[in-house]
Amino acid sequence: MRGGVDRVFDALADPTRRFVLEVLAGRESASQSELAAQVPVTRQAVAKHLSTLAAAGLVRSERRGRETRYALEGTPLEEAAAWLDRVGAEWDGRLAALARHVEERASAETYT
Amino acid sequence: MEVQREIVLPTTREDAWEALTEPGRLEQWFATEVELDLREGGAAVFRWGDGDSRHAEVVTVEDEERLVLRFDDGVVDLRLADDADGTRVLVRETSPGWSTALELSALALCAAA
Repeated sequence: MRGGVDRVFDALADPTRRFVLEVLAGRESASQSELAAQVPVTRQAVAKHLSTLAAAGLVRSERRGRETRYALEGTPLEEAAAWLDRVGAEWDGRLAALARHVEERASAETYT
Repeated sequence: MEVQREIVLPTTREDAWEALTEPGRLEQWFATEVELDLREGGAAVFRWGDGDSRHAEVVTVEDEERLVLRFDDGVVDLRLADDADGTRVLVRETSPGWSTALELSALALCAAA
């Protein structure tokens, strides 16, 4: 889960890019000029942020007629969320086992 | 990117530390077979009955305070603290390839997507 995920988090480190993602999350797709109207940076800056987001796999582009539409790609974020879920669940299980181990030892000592 | 969990164990700091660092104790709750050279730079090997195994290097050892292990896919940081009901164990697992710049808004987006 390294490499690609690294790019995802670098892409997410920038507040403007996160804002672009938020705007995209609220709609099916948007063109560069629609995004530029909502994000307080120049159209050129929006284009650059979109290419960073696309390189990280967070955004996909699709040509529709004469314009390119951009849409949110959820998979990399889902992978990140899946990692959090999996590792969190593993520790929940281990810490429960640790607590049982400590308690069993304490009660064994009480009765011997 | 990190996961944090904690638990309060109804026992002393000394006992909690032993449960986390003595191979014989670790074999009762963490893995089937444990080798742990408890000094900075020391090696650790954890093996499970299903054939799975994980190797780690000891990064930090502070007696009854803190143990940090670096696995090939992440760093596990265990800290002990006194608690009214015994000993608090705080665990943080960090994935090295993941920037700590991750913010919750990103995960909120994921949920929205």
